Amino acid sequence: MLEGSGFAVSAHGIDKVFLLLVLLLTGTGLFMVASAGEVWGQFNYGNSFYFVERQALFAGVGLIAMSFFAKLPYLFWKQYASVGLAAAFLLLIAVLIPGIGMVRNGSQSWIGVGALSFQPSEWMKMALVFYLAAILSERKKVIHLFWKGLFTPLVTIGAAFGFIMLQPDLGTAAVMGGTAFLLLFSAGAPIRFFATIGALAISGLVLLIASAPYRIKRITAYLDPWSDPLGSGFQIIQSLYAVGPGGLFGHGYGESRQKYYYLPEPQTDFIFAIWTEETGFLGALWVIILFFLLIWRGIYIAMRLDDPFGTLLVFGLTGMLSLQSFINLGVVTGLIPVTGVTLPFLSYGGSSLTMTLLLAGIVLSTSRHMR
Amino acid sequence: MRVRMFWVLVFSFVAFSILTIRTGYIQLWNGAELTKKAEELWGRSIPAEPERGLIVDRNGEVLAGNKHAPTVYVIPSQIDDPEQTAKTLAAVLGEKESLLYERMTKRSSIERLSSKGRHLSTDKAREVAELQLKGIWLGEDSVRNYVWKERLAHIIGFTGADNQGLAGIEAYYDQKLSGKAGSIQMFTDAKGNEMPGLVNDYNEPVNGMDLQLTIDADIQAVMERELDLAQKTYKPDAAMSIAMDPNTGEILAMSSRPSYDPSRFQEYDPDIYNRNLPVWNTFEPGSTFKIITLAAALEENKVDLDKDHFFDPGYVEVNGTRLRCWKREGHGHQSFLEVVQNSCNPGFVELGTRLGEKTLFSYIRKFGFGEKTGIDLYGEGTGILFTEQSAGPVEAATAAFGQGVAVTPIQQVAAVSAAVNGGILYKPYVAKSWTNPVSGIKETIHKPDQVRRVISEETSAQIRRALESVVAKGTGRNAFVDGYRIGGKTGTAQKAKDGGYLENNHIVSFIGMAPANDPKVVIYTAIDNPKGTVQFGGTVAAPIVGKMMEDILPLLNVSKQSNQIEKEKTWSDPELIVVPDLVGLTKDQLKEQLVNVNIVVEGNGSTVVSQSPKSGVKIEAGSKLRVLLK
Repeated sequence: MLEGSGFAVSAHGIDKVFLLLVLLLTGTGLFMVASAGEVWGQFNYGNSFYFVERQALFAGVGLIAMSFFAKLPYLFWKQYASVGLAAAFLLLIAVLIPGIGMVRNGSQSWIGVGALSFQPSEWMKMALVFYLAAILSERKKVIHLFWKGLFTPLVTIGAAFGFIMLQPDLGTAAVMGGTAFLLLFSAGAPIRFFATIGALAISGLVLLIASAPYRIKRITAYLDPWSDPLGSGFQIIQSLYAVGPGGLFGHGYGESRQKYYYLPEPQTDFIFAIWTEETGFLGALWVIILFFLLIWRGIYIAMRLDDPFGTLLVFGLTGMLSLQSFINLGVVTGLIPVTGVTLPFLSYGGSSLTMTLLLAGIVLSTSRHMR
Repeated sequence: MRVRMFWVLVFSFVAFSILTIRTGYIQLWNGAELTKKAEELWGRSIPAEPERGLIVDRNGEVLAGNKHAPTVYVIPSQIDDPEQTAKTLAAVLGEKESLLYERMTKRSSIERLSSKGRHLSTDKAREVAELQLKGIWLGEDSVRNYVWKERLAHIIGFTGADNQGLAGIEAYYDQKLSGKAGSIQMFTDAKGNEMPGLVNDYNEPVNGMDLQLTIDADIQAVMERELDLAQKTYKPDAAMSIAMDPNTGEILAMSSRPSYDPSRFQEYDPDIYNRNLPVWNTFEPGSTFKIITLAAALEENKVDLDKDHFFDPGYVEVNGTRLRCWKREGHGHQSFLEVVQNSCNPGFVELGTRLGEKTLFSYIRKFGFGEKTGIDLYGEGTGILFTEQSAGPVEAATAAFGQGVAVTPIQQVAAVSAAVNGGILYKPYVAKSWTNPVSGIKETIHKPDQVRRVISEETSAQIRRALESVVAKGTGRNAFVDGYRIGGKTGTAQKAKDGGYLENNHIVSFIGMAPANDPKVVIYTAIDNPKGTVQFGGTVAAPIVGKMMEDILPLLNVSKQSNQIEKEKTWSDPELIVVPDLVGLTKDQLKEQLVNVNIVVEGNGSTVVSQSPKSGVKIEAGSKLRVLLK
């Protein structure tokens, strides 16, 4: 398994455009966290720079990880895909055991101690991409057959999705599930299959909503946040109060009002709201365009690879980033219901940022083999 | 595989375009609206209440002003120690600590205190300010200062706890008097601290418009003085008075008793402040109404005051019903001018009969009776007239001398004004104009409003002459003032209750005008059930109006004239009355004895057996005549 182009040293190095986009996004993120986290940093830790200092540290660690994984031959991920998946499942089970898993914001999704804690679901998102890229690249010829081609991947996706929903963490589950289906779609699964899955998903969604009432509240809040301004509509309203007054140019960097305790935790999930409040529509365009260019470049790289595993791997990781950023931006602008997904590269958070950069490193490593 | 990836790229392009459009929509299209809502969230606005417009009299004298009276506001999120703050504030305000604590811990952006925390005196406000409590604020506010207290109360009315007009002019013109609240806007973070970078806003309140009334404070003062005196002398159930300019309909003064203090209206019976008697009270007018009959008869050429004569035997029969004159033995042979002077009932029945019920009632309606005058005060009465169908000869005959119809004082004032001003009925009003307190620009509310012409100039002149002679030579002589040509008519009406008349309970009234050659003012005064006197309009009400005229006419720049009708000397000792023989009369007959003496009944029988003093003795009008019943 260790032979093949994936292990050969590249003739033309990593893709500089993708790297540039990653660096711009990370830099913008540090800039954003510095302002958005200022008030809460001062209030909770007596240090306005608390969040940005730590975010800079995470970025440093992440960039080191990125350069390391950019050098690591990408076939490594194919080789250890099954092991990674098994480990991810074990962690997902472990996190559900009381005493091991920790509950934060109503979800039992954290494991570990203090600064070393992380979310197994984050790891599962990536492990599933490695696994699907590996298995789907092997089954190119039988992908149109249900039992021989699709059955095993589907069971795996279903199990991972199920475990994450037990925490429950709808946001991560949605990103992971969406990514998995983008991979199945690109790998060539028949269209009628997606139609069937679509129908099943809708009925499943109905069941999920029926089983946990807070979800329907989130959905009604999304349709009319002002119906319950202090409850389910609170976050959307506070977010819109940041975005709306921003206008074309914003209040100016550092001049956000909503970060003054109105918008809860403005440096994480809703960082884009503070950013657009301060920099206006022009700042929003900057971020949206950077993300779209990143997606374009990711798919561009994927399409220029000869190895089906490499193609699916890059496409899967890019798809995951694009889905997650789309969901986050959609939540902040009130386009989709609040789900609790961070904005890659930009939201404050150690595991989020280092994982994203690690993932970028894998794409960069793969990009060495572009035609 | 590549084709499908390309489609994913296209799809994500579409998705991110939607995101861009959505963001643009929120920021560029919805931005202003969201900013407004957000500012409500960031802003803690401490209201600055507007001052109500001043109410001033026709010469600019302030009748209702304002007193600075700040109100306490609480911003709960700014209070670190609500327990201590409540304790400290409670001590100063004299308010319950638990109540304040409750307000200070409420989940609300700002709370306005009520009762003890509302409308503080300047001293209290200073005390509160000196406490320098965090989260406790004083907002601009004011309360009405009713300079005139009980006087003018029914015209001005009063305001409630939120400075909203509740009665009188305050209620009728509330909207423009109120003004618009302003605020001091502070931008704070979600924890209530001032937000850096945002400037606090002061929206100045817009004070209410100043309202000028037609009331003349000096004339009003004369009227109030006379009513106070009447109140003291006669202890009546009620008293009411109106002074109006007959040539415009402007009310110069209006008052009634019992009155109330507008700043303490809660302490009074609601009937007292809800009933503005001069416009609300509906009762039989009595003889003052004869002016209407006289006007109709003159206008229709049914009578010549000097050439036509009439014999009054003391009663008149209409369709088999015997209608008595107030003077039992009758007035005998008189000219019709003397009929007016003597207020002779059969004489007026004769005029009513000459007119016929149709014509008489059409004049009554033309003079404005049976409908509201439309004065700009709440609670005006309509009065009660016979319907055209039910009005037969008997009804016309009684109406001719003021019985069987019910009218309001303001209707009588408006009608008599029309009778003496040259024949035009004006709509009465009390609000003259608005003045913008900032720009000083005036805005007229009412101009003299002619309702209709009722009688001719010539008829009006004859009525003035007749009324002047009533004061000079007739029943209204107690209103005579040397040098001022006062004309008028007395009225004594029994009060109707539950379909019958009350005994020894009259509303005595006088309506006067002066000067008789060119009336500048019409004054009406009615005293309801005066005690310790004979209940005669000529005895009780006429002198009151006379005294008012004496002091009011100089205020209207009316100078004394020498060509007035001389006061008749034969009436100069009217104070002495020959005591009639009452022995042998029944109790009911006794009541019909409308002689100008105070009959005191003793014993429980049905027939008079003795009297003191004896018949034939001359006694002073109004003195006691004791009779014993058996």
